[in-house]
Amino acid sequence: MILARNVSKAFGDNVVLRDISLEVKEGEVVVVIGASGSGKTTFIRLINGLETLTSGEITVNGTAITQNKTTLRLIRKEVGMVFQHFNLFHHLNTLQNIAIGPIKVLGLKKEAAHRRAYELLDRVGLRDKAAAYPDELSGGQQQRVAIARALAMNPLVMLFDEPTSALDPEMVGEVLAAMKDLAKSKMTMVVVTHEMGFAREVGDRVVFMDGGLVVEQGPPSEIFNNPREKRTQDFLSKIL
Amino acid sequence: MDFFGVIRDSLPELFYGAKLTLYYSLATIILATVVGLIFALCKLSHNKALRKIGEGYVHIFRGLPLIVEIFYVYFALPMILPLHRWFDPYFTPVAGTIALMLNEGAYITEIIRAGILSIQRGQTEAALSIGMSSAQTMRYIILPQAFKRMIPPLVNQFIQTIKDTSLLSVISINELTRQGQIVISTTFSSLQIWTAVAAIYLAIILSLTAVSGYLERKFQIAKR
Repeated sequence: MILARNVSKAFGDNVVLRDISLEVKEGEVVVVIGASGSGKTTFIRLINGLETLTSGEITVNGTAITQNKTTLRLIRKEVGMVFQHFNLFHHLNTLQNIAIGPIKVLGLKKEAAHRRAYELLDRVGLRDKAAAYPDELSGGQQQRVAIARALAMNPLVMLFDEPTSALDPEMVGEVLAAMKDLAKSKMTMVVVTHEMGFAREVGDRVVFMDGGLVVEQGPPSEIFNNPREKRTQDFLSKIL
Repeated sequence: MDFFGVIRDSLPELFYGAKLTLYYSLATIILATVVGLIFALCKLSHNKALRKIGEGYVHIFRGLPLIVEIFYVYFALPMILPLHRWFDPYFTPVAGTIALMLNEGAYITEIIRAGILSIQRGQTEAALSIGMSSAQTMRYIILPQAFKRMIPPLVNQFIQTIKDTSLLSVISINELTRQGQIVISTTFSSLQIWTAVAAIYLAIILSLTAVSGYLERKFQIAKR
């Protein structure tokens, strides 16, 4: 579904990703872990073209990411993204936040888009908040709306960029539950997170990144119980 | 004649002037906002040539006294472009409106640009990530949020515009200030007429302030 080959990314002289290759198969949940500055956020931002490649190639469902605007829009329609800081549209209520993509991008009628939005709100348990504006919602609720907004586009892949890092501890659970539910429905997911419990329980594969490299990857049981690389062991000993 | 008697007798002339002041203000506010939006988008463009055009426009039209701009459009420009023939017999109002529009538009460019820049990058990224084009992102996500923040400085600029129309008196447009001068030239009642003129300007501007207060409350309902 996602194929990254020899991907490098530099911001000026600052090299963030060094020659990364990674494949994500359909229906697979890949959890990317690593310290801040390891390049994991940059990597998933490359997958929907929010950053531009310095070298290498990324294809999504067979389409290579370029700077061509039409190609980018096509890929972004198929790739949903959930941000650390939610980024809900502040001037729109919950229902409008979810429906605006289907209406403006997919060309759905308002009624159809709202019907879909209500279905998704049911799925994340927020139907009663349909008329609320983002700043009337808690962080956890905002992030669940953000998940629904991305799902409204019927994406093939969902990217999560530290979706629980900006949340109060008591709200982390509700967002992870919504993500687990999504994983169960066989959505292809790439999740950057510091939630090791989630990685262990939901991840099909865990990728450990450090210094712009993929240091080690494998099933969660292997990475967490028997890390082979010294750097993985150091990182895990610090956070577990 | 008593103090108010003079004012009462000259009210038809003054109201005629006030009407023109309102017309020129309204026309300028609408045109300058359109011009401001266009040049603000130019200045924010990825295209370097467009950016330079936007910058040049603001530098020139913000950098000159309004009265010089009015004289330039009215007296100097017709020497190289036969504007006075193209727009005959409406050249005077057209020249006055163009000069005001270009001047106010330069300030409004910066107000709109600042408003757009004040919206966090995350809003744009979220819009792009659901497949919106840059134009859709600007139209449906950024501008509606930026507009709310632009209301106070825009109202400031609109008030400035209303007052600036008084300079059109220098090219014989019979707006409020010039009507006042004309009345005084026959009645010699400076105190009464300037008081009346001042009161009318204040009434116009305070009504605009009331409208803006209403607008701000209305948009408050829609939150940020």
